[in-house]
Amino acid sequence: MGKITIGCFSSLVGSMSLDFAIKFSDAAVKKGHEVDLWLSGNGTMLGKKGQGKFRDYSYLMDTVMELINSGKFKITNCEACAKARGITREDTVEGFGVASMDWYLASAFSTDRILHIGGE
Amino acid sequence: MAIKKIAFIVEKLPYKSETSRLALTHAIASQTVEIHLEDGDNVEPVLAFVGDGVLNCLKNQKALEVYGVSSLEAHVKNALLLDLRVLVCKEDLEGFGLTEDSIVMDAEEIGGEVTTQVVPYEEIQQDLESADHLMFF
Amino acid sequence: MRLAVFVSEYREPEMLERLKAEKLGIVLVQNGVYHAALKKDGNVSPVLSKDVEYYALSEDLQSRGFSDSDVVDSKVKVINYDGLVDLIFNDYEKTIWL
Repeated sequence: MGKITIGCFSSLVGSMSLDFAIKFSDAAVKKGHEVDLWLSGNGTMLGKKGQGKFRDYSYLMDTVMELINSGKFKITNCEACAKARGITREDTVEGFGVASMDWYLASAFSTDRILHIGGE
Repeated sequence: MAIKKIAFIVEKLPYKSETSRLALTHAIASQTVEIHLEDGDNVEPVLAFVGDGVLNCLKNQKALEVYGVSSLEAHVKNALLLDLRVLVCKEDLEGFGLTEDSIVMDAEEIGGEVTTQVVPYEEIQQDLESADHLMFF
Repeated sequence: MRLAVFVSEYREPEMLERLKAEKLGIVLVQNGVYHAALKKDGNVSPVLSKDVEYYALSEDLQSRGFSDSDVVDSKVKVINYDGLVDLIFNDYEKTIWL
């Protein structure tokens, strides 16, 4: 079994890349792999508490929570990107990490694969 | 003891989105990644500007005055100050009618010692081959 | 190197022409699947003109109104997320998302 580090820099609303990143993570974890997911730029929206579930917008939190509970999935928000959007640690869903950018590079150091999905 | 090489490749234009700036800030974060790693382990970044991305390196950007945000020019200078390897694609620069005079080639005024390298795409391709991981911004 | 290039948009990415690899795979995802499912003015997308491995993500074809059998070129292999995970871990070592 391996480890993959995914960086997703795209927003929850306005892009389907986070949807891709979560579905890919889910498939990888179910196959026994480990996944580190780094959220940067507009990707940090995924960690905001209190997201509404509407049929016209992508809602990923149920799968994210299942992934966190699997123990094989780490998800971390870029602290500066989140703060710039008014998302503090208190506003961040439990189970999400908050870290500076070197977290992503440290994960990249020890991983087998990187899938870096850039911003819009 | 291991060094992992990560290539940060920048193809996007500055300012419409924050993507190219995040490429620079992530590459620069390699300077503090050691605190998360075992002794002797480290990340070696190489920063390459290709396609429209070469325009991030233009001189005389006034983003701080106009938008109140650090310019990409300032970020490139920081990268040079921290001894990062900065590559700019020669063919793409020439495609825009630009020369080394038009772009940030050094960070001497803030004490930087390394300079930007304008190289043929083929050389950047070699860096993609030798890198352990790629991050394409 | 063994490089998987993700194409996520229905335009021809400039970088695609430049990237070289011993083993190159192009993975069509999101709006990139239109390259696999449509001909424009009767022509297959230029993205499919390389002599490399091609894959298209089944879920993204289906969400856009295509079935796996709508894929216009037989060299495109339709895979799902499970297949994609295996592909990335077993067949390729580096990825680029365009």
